[in-house]
Amino acid sequence: MVERQSPLEPAPLEPELRTGSHGDFEHGPDVILSETRPGSILQLAAWPGQEKNLIAGIHTVTGLALPDGAGAGSTDGVRSVFGFAPGKFTVVDEAEGLVSAFAGVVTPAIGTVTDLSHGRTAIRIAGPKAEWVLAKFFAIDFALPAFPVGAGRSTMHHDVFAQIQRTGADQFDIYVFRSFARSFWKALCHASEEVGYEVQ
Amino acid sequence: MSPRRTDAGGRVDRLRTIRFTFDGAPYTGHAGDTLASALLANGVTLFGRSFKYHRPRGVLTAGVEEPNALVTVLRGEVREPNIAATMVEIYDGLTAVSQNRFPSLAWDINAANQLGGKLLSAGFYYKTFMGPAIGPLKSTRFWMFCEHFIRRAAGLGRAGTAADTARYERMNAFCDVLVVGSGPAGLMAARAAADQGARVILSELEPHFGGSANWSGETIDGMPAADWAARAAGQLEGYDNVRLLPRTTVWGYYDGNTLAALERVTDHKERPGKGEPRHRYWIIRAKSVVLATGSFERPLVFPGNDRPGVMLAHAAERYANEYGVLAGNRIALFTNNDSAYRSALALKKAGAAIVAIVDVRTELSSEMRELADEAEAKSLSGHAVVATEGGKALSGIKVQRFDMTNGALAGEARSIQADCLLMSGGWSPTIHLASQAGAKAEWNAARQAFLPPKPTQQWIGAGAFTGSFSTAEAIAEGRAAGLSAAGGTGTPTALPVVEAAPGDPDPAPVFEIKADGKSFVDFQHDVTAEDVRLAHREGFISVEHLKRYTTLGMATDQGKSSNILGLAIMAEALGKPIPEVGTTRFRPPFSAVSIGSLAAERFGDLRPERLTPMHDWHVANGATMYSAGLWYRPMIYGHAGETIEQAYVREAKATRESAGIVDVSTLGKIAVQGPDAAEFLDRVYTNMFSTLAVGKARYGLMLREDGLAFDDGTTWRLGQQDFLMTTTTANAGKVMQHLEYFLDVVWPELRVHVTSVTDEWAGAAIGGPKARAILAACVTGTAVDNAALPFMGIVHGKISGVPVMICRLSFSGEMAFEVYSGAGYGTHVWEALIEAGKPFGLVTYGLEALGTMRIEKGHVTGAEIDGRTTARDLHLDWMLSKKKPFIGSAMMDREGLIAPGRLELVGLISLDNQPLNGGAHIVEDLDEANPHDSIGHITACCYSPALGKYIALALVKDGMARRGTRAHISDPLRNRFGPVEIVSNHFFDPDGSRMHG
Amino acid sequence: MLITCPYCGPRDVIEFTYQGDGNRERPQPASQNLDAWNAYVYDRLNPAGDHNEIWQHSGGCRAHLRVVRNTLTHEISSVAFARGDHKVAARHKAEGKT
Ligand SMILES: [Zn+2]
Repeated sequence: MVERQSPLEPAPLEPELRTGSHGDFEHGPDVILSETRPGSILQLAAWPGQEKNLIAGIHTVTGLALPDGAGAGSTDGVRSVFGFAPGKFTVVDEAEGLVSAFAGVVTPAIGTVTDLSHGRTAIRIAGPKAEWVLAKFFAIDFALPAFPVGAGRSTMHHDVFAQIQRTGADQFDIYVFRSFARSFWKALCHASEEVGYEVQ
Repeated sequence: MSPRRTDAGGRVDRLRTIRFTFDGAPYTGHAGDTLASALLANGVTLFGRSFKYHRPRGVLTAGVEEPNALVTVLRGEVREPNIAATMVEIYDGLTAVSQNRFPSLAWDINAANQLGGKLLSAGFYYKTFMGPAIGPLKSTRFWMFCEHFIRRAAGLGRAGTAADTARYERMNAFCDVLVVGSGPAGLMAARAAADQGARVILSELEPHFGGSANWSGETIDGMPAADWAARAAGQLEGYDNVRLLPRTTVWGYYDGNTLAALERVTDHKERPGKGEPRHRYWIIRAKSVVLATGSFERPLVFPGNDRPGVMLAHAAERYANEYGVLAGNRIALFTNNDSAYRSALALKKAGAAIVAIVDVRTELSSEMRELADEAEAKSLSGHAVVATEGGKALSGIKVQRFDMTNGALAGEARSIQADCLLMSGGWSPTIHLASQAGAKAEWNAARQAFLPPKPTQQWIGAGAFTGSFSTAEAIAEGRAAGLSAAGGTGTPTALPVVEAAPGDPDPAPVFEIKADGKSFVDFQHDVTAEDVRLAHREGFISVEHLKRYTTLGMATDQGKSSNILGLAIMAEALGKPIPEVGTTRFRPPFSAVSIGSLAAERFGDLRPERLTPMHDWHVANGATMYSAGLWYRPMIYGHAGETIEQAYVREAKATRESAGIVDVSTLGKIAVQGPDAAEFLDRVYTNMFSTLAVGKARYGLMLREDGLAFDDGTTWRLGQQDFLMTTTTANAGKVMQHLEYFLDVVWPELRVHVTSVTDEWAGAAIGGPKARAILAACVTGTAVDNAALPFMGIVHGKISGVPVMICRLSFSGEMAFEVYSGAGYGTHVWEALIEAGKPFGLVTYGLEALGTMRIEKGHVTGAEIDGRTTARDLHLDWMLSKKKPFIGSAMMDREGLIAPGRLELVGLISLDNQPLNGGAHIVEDLDEANPHDSIGHITACCYSPALGKYIALALVKDGMARRGTRAHISDPLRNRFGPVEIVSNHFFDPDGSRMHG
Repeated sequence: MLITCPYCGPRDVIEFTYQGDGNRERPQPASQNLDAWNAYVYDRLNPAGDHNEIWQHSGGCRAHLRVVRNTLTHEISSVAFARGDHKVAARHKAEGKT
């Protein structure tokens, strides 16, 4: 099978955007940036009144239970799911082909499945200063009580739409449009310089 | 030792010497000094020249409100003008220069303006430069002529021209309690809120926390107030739920308790750390705010009150106590209130001689008399300062008996020798943020000050901000405010105990001493008391008009020291009490904000950009990239030595002769899914989509609600309930919002989901006589012949092992196909197509050739669908279904949209064989000297290799009827005039035989 | 200005797009009543005070919202999904605070 090309590689990127430690990292980098490259990124959307059935379908396929409430989500490290809009969910799997697993589960009566595996790029920022760096981009509250582990948020940085899931106490997965990914990655590296960052 | 530096005291580090220059002269100071304190320590009294009269000016204050001592700071090539010397922390290598002087600060030619003082009074420019009613310099032209010279003479620092290389950043913050100001009130509030577990941000515009505690000389809990404040700030640092922001000015208070602040991160450093921004623009959303912003001391208005050496009383106290600098050796004070006595004593203790305390009040309390005695000062109650003496530094003052009940002066003026005069005209709470937040301030007659209004947003005031000027009150109010802001009640514990000099917070209601000479109200804009009265005599009785006419309070300091004084003088002239004259509403920013911080990452390299999956391939293969909105697209793939025109002509020609391929990944793509998707598209498009078979595509047109054309594109039916809509690149976002609006607001009953899938698919359009053969050579899993893939048909197959979706449609007019694959496979498929195309002479082409071929075909784009054209204007009326209503169908036939005389799409052929220009006008009769009577304009133009001519698309009045006639283009801006023939917009292959094959 | 999206919570106005006067009534699609269409497309109230508006949370969940905003103070007295059938528990309500 042909390998998918990431928008972040194999571009002739500047050295500071490549693997290694950069910026003010003498005391150890305070954030780690990486591209997680999940095989599947899906958007699932329920018709009004069908939300519970869709959530049940997500559970059936992924094994992930979705807590109640707007923006709620969960992750097991391999698969992740979170709500990003009323009745709408992003489901992510390390493996490719998740879309076919939903084929018989999310019927047209429940809602729709849209495959965005190529169309979104997943960037992970982790480390003690992850909240600090993200606060430079997004006008949402990243503090743990306001943004619990597993939860998702839809927001934007200028024209760059982003869905953000907190996948750890100091770890966030950011899903951006593929076409914006390189530009956003550069900005993320730039903003991380003062705390020191490592690209993995 | 510097002439004015005390041996001990203050928080400067006397062991660390800092070297800097001012106007080229080298100076030294100590770590902890501001430029103002360091220069004062060196005996410098002259800091700048005034705005209008070029009068010598010293430093008036010790803080952010400084109107006089403005300097330009140079960093390499970058110069930043109009910085208050009181706010510049010195560092090794600091280079500062004075402003508004020529040729030098000490010897300034324009100081002659002082002699013409009467001439330059309020409104001088308006009156003088209106010019004659007739002639070459009539009315405002004369002003424009003179303006250049006036602006050179009057003004502040000069902005630099070098690009600012500093980094600026924006930061979003959220907290339960934002405490603005870190004096005793702010420190208590932050601590109280933090103890309740609230998330707290404490901001302080100075480098050190503590506010007045740093220089008050008071004792709190048995220790010097400065130590108490340092300890309190140190304790707050240990809280996980507290963020301390020194050097951070909260400058705006907006709706929703959103506050804007500027953090000066590295201005005080010789060089910033790696990745450190110079300024950080904080946007803070606080559940509640404690305003502990303190108060500003007011000057008094009397002749010569602007002479270098005249300073606010607390400023001198601050220089002595906080920086170990004496503002003078023989100091006189002039006051209308008790606070100056504390200042006098502090300066006495610091080593100065206090020669006199001139007080407008006749009756002094016994405490004040004792303080004066302790300061060994001559107490001149019932007196006023009527003049100051000296040149560029003060040498003495003149005082006279003064009756504050009627302002009358009596007796002989007598001189007192002094090298420094401190004035105190009472205190104005710093209510700017509260005023920005909404309501009007209230005048308090006892305090002679505007006190903060009742909160209209979630804020609580504490300390001097509320008019409670004593530290004990500040401490009590601070704690209460912090508790309340955090929503806590708290058990009452003992408050810190304050030992402070006594004093009545209420000043005498005296603002001005009327005597001969210039008495300044607004130091920065050189507005005198007489200017205010002149404005009144000339009829400017509204305070808002007064401000604009005299420019009082409109300088960069925004009248921090002058607003109340101007108002008081105006009130007296009007014979009205101050509150009836009104106050001005304060607007953001509280103090100057760097433009860079507001722009932050929105410019330069960090501007967001969109790249297609094949971007790197284009760049590596010689494409000249063109920015189209946020996208980057190949414009041409130029060969060595080719012009742009030669390149696109070659590309277009080769495409029509063999085949060409272009990246169309930027086209907007929207997945339209659900049981009602077809019905929804019928409503959205002017033509039918419910009748479209699965596996087929159709060209569609959308109108706006007002009946004008909106966007066009093809939509593919991939399944019974599954459509892929394409839009123009430019309108992708707008179309998406349009669809979402109708689904959410107008037709919520339709079960349809729309999702942007623009980035999911890489798209390559391959067209030309050889296109099908190229596909046949590389596509597996499906046939691509006419039977399997008819016009507007869709097939699924593979190219080089990757799944692709191929639709046969044409924009170029050739037999053409759009090949879609997952974006991650885009380059792989593109390269496979290029490889397969080699034997067939396939070329890559860019936007220019794409545009050329579409012009030859007469297809419309955003240049023609410009928000003013209808479907009929563009000859797309064949797409308007009569079988169903659609968005815009009711409005599209309105009278004005079907009337004759509308601009209609036509083609133009250049008859003089010269290029045409986009935007050029079209006229019936050429009149180069006086172009008039445009009948339309060119929307797009090119050299057509197919026709061998320069051609254009144009919107021309009644264009259809003019086909076959001649007209002229008239483009005076580019000096291009010439004959054209008006023809059909379908220049090339009008019956479409090429694309239908 | 902040708008409290029922799904996303309070967000800065920069994330929203104004989508027009919420008082407009769209005629039936097939209606040929030009006056009614004209009123729908062009006529706008311009009250000094509370105004019904449609906003889209375009930089967030993309839902359209019905917002009552005071044009003098910017105070927003109510926000609701434009669709009546979004039954999702709103986070700021679920957590019992804003
Ligand atoms: Zn939302």
